[in-house]
Amino acid sequence: MSTRKLFVRIANLVTRNRQEERLRAEIDAHIALQTEENIRSGIPRADARRQALLKFGAVEPMKEAYRDQELIPFFENLLRDLKYGLRILCKSPGFTAVAVVTLALGIGANTAIFSLLDAVLLRPLPYAHPDRLFRLYPVDAKHGPMTSTSYPDFQDWKEQSRSFEATAAYDEQDLTLTGTAEPERLRALCTTPGLFAMLGTRPILGHEFGPNGSRYVALLSYGLWQRRFAGDPAIIGKAIYLDGWAYTVLGVLPPRFYFPPEEMQGRLTAEVFVPATANADRGWNYLRVIGRLAPQVTEQQAQSEMNAIAARSAQAYPSAGHGREIQLAALPDVSAGSMRQTAWILFGAAAFVLLIACGNVANLLFAQGAAREHEIAIRMMVGGSRSRIMRQLLTEGLLLATLGGALAVGLTYWTLPLLAYTVPENTMFFTRIHDVGIHLNPTVLAFSALLVALSVVVFGVLPAWRTARPLQSLRATLRASKLRGALITLEITLSLVLLIGAGLMMRSLVMLLDVDVGFVTHELLTLDISLPAKKYDSPEKQAAFFGEVLERFQSLPSVLSVGAVTDLPLTRNDTWNGFEIPGTKPRKGTAGYHMVSPDYFRTMGIPLISGRQIRDSDSARTPLAGVISRSMAQRYWPNRNPVGETIVVYRFSSALTSKGTSIQWTPQQLEIVGVAGDVRQLGLDDQPGPELYMPYAQWPSDNMSVVLRARTDPWPLIPEALKEIWRVDPEQPVTDVKTMDQWVAKESASRRFALELIGAFALIALILAAVGIYGVVSYWARQRTCEIGIRMALGAEPNQVLHLVVAQGLKPALVGLGLGITAGLALTRFLSSLLYGVKPTDAPTFIVVSLLLTVMVLLASYIPARRATKVDPMVALRYE
Amino acid sequence: MKEKTEVQQGTVALMVLRTLDVMGSLHGYGIARRIEQISGDLLAVNQGTLYPVLLKLEQEGAIASDWGVSENNRRARFYRLTRAGRKQLEAERRDWQKTADIIARFFVVKAEDLK
Repeated sequence: MSTRKLFVRIANLVTRNRQEERLRAEIDAHIALQTEENIRSGIPRADARRQALLKFGAVEPMKEAYRDQELIPFFENLLRDLKYGLRILCKSPGFTAVAVVTLALGIGANTAIFSLLDAVLLRPLPYAHPDRLFRLYPVDAKHGPMTSTSYPDFQDWKEQSRSFEATAAYDEQDLTLTGTAEPERLRALCTTPGLFAMLGTRPILGHEFGPNGSRYVALLSYGLWQRRFAGDPAIIGKAIYLDGWAYTVLGVLPPRFYFPPEEMQGRLTAEVFVPATANADRGWNYLRVIGRLAPQVTEQQAQSEMNAIAARSAQAYPSAGHGREIQLAALPDVSAGSMRQTAWILFGAAAFVLLIACGNVANLLFAQGAAREHEIAIRMMVGGSRSRIMRQLLTEGLLLATLGGALAVGLTYWTLPLLAYTVPENTMFFTRIHDVGIHLNPTVLAFSALLVALSVVVFGVLPAWRTARPLQSLRATLRASKLRGALITLEITLSLVLLIGAGLMMRSLVMLLDVDVGFVTHELLTLDISLPAKKYDSPEKQAAFFGEVLERFQSLPSVLSVGAVTDLPLTRNDTWNGFEIPGTKPRKGTAGYHMVSPDYFRTMGIPLISGRQIRDSDSARTPLAGVISRSMAQRYWPNRNPVGETIVVYRFSSALTSKGTSIQWTPQQLEIVGVAGDVRQLGLDDQPGPELYMPYAQWPSDNMSVVLRARTDPWPLIPEALKEIWRVDPEQPVTDVKTMDQWVAKESASRRFALELIGAFALIALILAAVGIYGVVSYWARQRTCEIGIRMALGAEPNQVLHLVVAQGLKPALVGLGLGITAGLALTRFLSSLLYGVKPTDAPTFIVVSLLLTVMVLLASYIPARRATKVDPMVALRYE
Repeated sequence: MKEKTEVQQGTVALMVLRTLDVMGSLHGYGIARRIEQISGDLLAVNQGTLYPVLLKLEQEGAIASDWGVSENNRRARFYRLTRAGRKQLEAERRDWQKTADIIARFFVVKAEDLK
């Protein structure tokens, strides 16, 4: 009795009594009525209430008795049910094991995906009130929304807008860090002052840039500080060398801070932060603008104010090509990027797996319930109520689900690092996981608990309800087996949809990797060289460096040919610029400008369609020559051979003035000397566009990618190549040393990631569905052992028995197949962002997958069927 | 041996059921007054002990309750007998009758009948 009281006391602390209020109201009413009665019978008013209270008796003990009454039944029953349930589960370890593992797979898959979602999408950005931060995109009259704007425009926006309490702008750059250790290429963020204050981030050491400070100051990210400077606080005030220039370190940013939050082209986030340069040219768009809404201002108000500012600007500066709008996008939306949809698709797939797992466990419970009919009938006869028995069965289900959930959490804990490892690099997924970490945290655990509870509802309620029936009528038995068949149908439907999804993705990946990129990707080594401006301050020095490196590479033994280019294809880089076609009616066009070495096309394997290639004789002293891509020729000179035509191109030059960097575009005449084949410049799924290739001898660049074509595998060439570069300049860092095949793989990485996960889920689903079918058919066959015995004794052939049993599994499966195909046709449109070259309703995939599933169903039904035919009729007849 | 409070609770429960059976729907205070009138001393004091009993009966499904307005325009909780409660009342009445008959026979019996 005392333990029960103790338990109840503890329970009292935990539960909150809404009943308490009701009781208090009733007591008040009672006392009031008694008081009035007392007054009516003549007791003086002052005394009436006191006497009423006395008559009522001691309130506190009564309240306790009330509370005890409430809680005792519930908790006592729960404890009893749990103990009984545990005993039952231990008595049939096989059943328990299968059920628990099945649930663990279902819950585990969802927990893993949810952790991924949590790390990437649900965790807030590391800034104060990120939903008040907005990116501003100027809308260009011709090209639509653009990512960046110019410095003068940014100044205007900053000064004229009232809706934003703070604005800042940033640009990205790659800088080489040199010093005591080996040179390292870093991503740098160039920002206008006040960015960090706007984000709500304070450096943990030092301070951020002031508005009028020197240009050569820097802030370090926490990761860089730890990795490169051993976390030494004395770094503040010291100089570091970026691209040869000395920058004074002003401060260190906090850990877990990263910026910018948007998906960048395959780069990790910035590690060093320097002030942005001010560029007075209104047509030079390089700054991305971000602003924090002022308090009380809504997005709509800010939007209309910015549109008004844009309209004024467009009127005042018509040549700058501005549109009349500025678009706002909330930062959290911007940062999720393309991975958001993939994440939700994965979540859906995991949910399917869970449903299938629940279906299997429900069928298991049905079978187990039938076996326990005796026990339950006896309990009902002795006086147990149906609801009590149902409650007990549900508690058993809860126990199973909890065990499954615990196993799932354990599994997830072990496999999460593996999952994080497979995440593709060039996505926001990777950046977030890299900076923030992916692990089990309270949110994820709470989610698992929720899944456990949900699973019990899904798989526990129906069997409990059915099992608690007092007597099974024949009709009820038929209904039960129909129900089991329905569950199988559902499982097949879900498995089919998952398999279709996986199949479509696999085809997409194959199609993507099969695509013609316009050049030969095998046996090609690429490396990126960016010359520091301080050392290579003239175009002649730059051209000389590359010339010498190319010559040395050519002399290496296993190298077939070498070339160099700015903006290597398939790297998501391109530099677009305008050109003009002179004539009676001058036309303007845009093309990607590339500077190449003479042997570039040969090295890459880009075919020459007409005219000639870039030659050594094209030098700084000869007239400007250029080779254009086929699509450029087709677009601007349809039906004509453009070789021999002249166009006007714009040479870029910059000079540092007192007002900032000024950009100049000098028009020059260029003769088209050849047409080359198209390449996919931006990525595997990109359409080839107009590209213009010019000799780097005429247009030197400080940053080029060098490509080497080797006889066989180019990977072993790397040490030699690096040695040659360092013989020319021992301090020159080399980055992005990859084979072209590796670039291709990187391009397809995110699709491959999605495929791997969906494929894994589809496989799990297939196995679970097979196990489910096997279980149901076995059970059916065992129930019918007597009937089968009779049939065989009366002369039925084993084949006929086989057909009979297999049909049990096949019938619901075929219905499921039909439903699955219908569902697949409806649902695969959600995959279309991940597909390439394959329609969401691709017939061959549907057919192949359906056949595969049918074969699986046949196999899963065949095994128990065969077992059924082996039964000795005499034994079967005696089977009870 | 049942505890005295349990015995008392049992009888009070029966009284509540019978009261509701006769009077129809009543609030807590009304039930307490009625029981006091009929049983004399049993609920003259410690009327509050009625409420745990009401809760127990409601949990068992023998009575049901709803908010209503009492005679002096106060908000009060009114209780009424359910069908299950009526059946329980009948069953208990038969039990009590049987017990009373048996005990009565003991008091009638004389010493020589037991030899």
